[in-house]
Amino acid sequence: MPGDWHLLGPLEWTRYVNKEVKVTAGKDVERCGWLLTVDPVSASLVLLDFKADGQTSVDLVMGHAVKEVQVLQEPDEKTLNRLQTSFVPVRSCSLDSEELRRRRASLKDWLQKNLIPVEEEGEELKVAGVLLIRAPYTPDDCCSSNQIILDRIQKLIHNLDSQNSTDQCGTD
Amino acid sequence: MATPVPVLRLPKGPDPNSRGFDPNSPRFIALCRTSISTSAASELDPEELQKEQHARSVLREKFLRCLFAMTNKQVYFNLHEKVKVEATFGASDIDVLNFQVSDLHTPIGVQKEALIRSRDVISCHFDV
Repeated sequence: MPGDWHLLGPLEWTRYVNKEVKVTAGKDVERCGWLLTVDPVSASLVLLDFKADGQTSVDLVMGHAVKEVQVLQEPDEKTLNRLQTSFVPVRSCSLDSEELRRRRASLKDWLQKNLIPVEEEGEELKVAGVLLIRAPYTPDDCCSSNQIILDRIQKLIHNLDSQNSTDQCGTD
Repeated sequence: MATPVPVLRLPKGPDPNSRGFDPNSPRFIALCRTSISTSAASELDPEELQKEQHARSVLREKFLRCLFAMTNKQVYFNLHEKVKVEATFGASDIDVLNFQVSDLHTPIGVQKEALIRSRDVISCHFDV
């Protein structure tokens, strides 16, 4: 491995990702596993080991302690698939287009009621030009680089959802 | 069952957001660097920079999702000098300088809430 691990940079780290590696860290710590990712901030490695019983054991090796990283083998298709789906939230969009349209309209109304500038762009809602809400328009579907706006909008959507569910309880 | 005992805490190291620490001091650079600079090649080539930033965001997202999966799990920490402790993982700060944990089982007792400096940690382990 050329040079210090934490100085390699994202493009170099990416070359190790999804491969089985052996990491030597500290004085005498050795860890083996499939490299899921390297944190670009701390250079820490996330190693996965898939057990036979379906469990996954996860090792996090801190970047500052890494002495050496050795590639052991390339992944087969099954392992690659498991690596790519690890920790990824399951997204199931079971709503039909009519339901989505209704949800979009009600959310747009709600945001406008709260004096938030919102525009419809196809299937997406754009808030103040800096935040995007994708279908199915839950708090987790908001996308923005502005944390403060993101937090405010997510809270508003959350409020709308809880208001709707109490309404439903009332009519039942 | 282990009984909780108070644990004496050492003074906290410099915090990147507090005032009073010179950002150019060797100590600050070693402990509190808040971001990693781009590589020399990508500074000159905008296309390379774009690629590097994309790789950075993909790697970081996967790392954050992993931290997210770690919350409220029993995590085993491997510290320097062969010290092993276990705790319930709470959170990490954005620079991954400290971990917040609960019920930290130390060799001298259980600390209800604690911050672990990530510099003291070599590796940690948990199951999902």
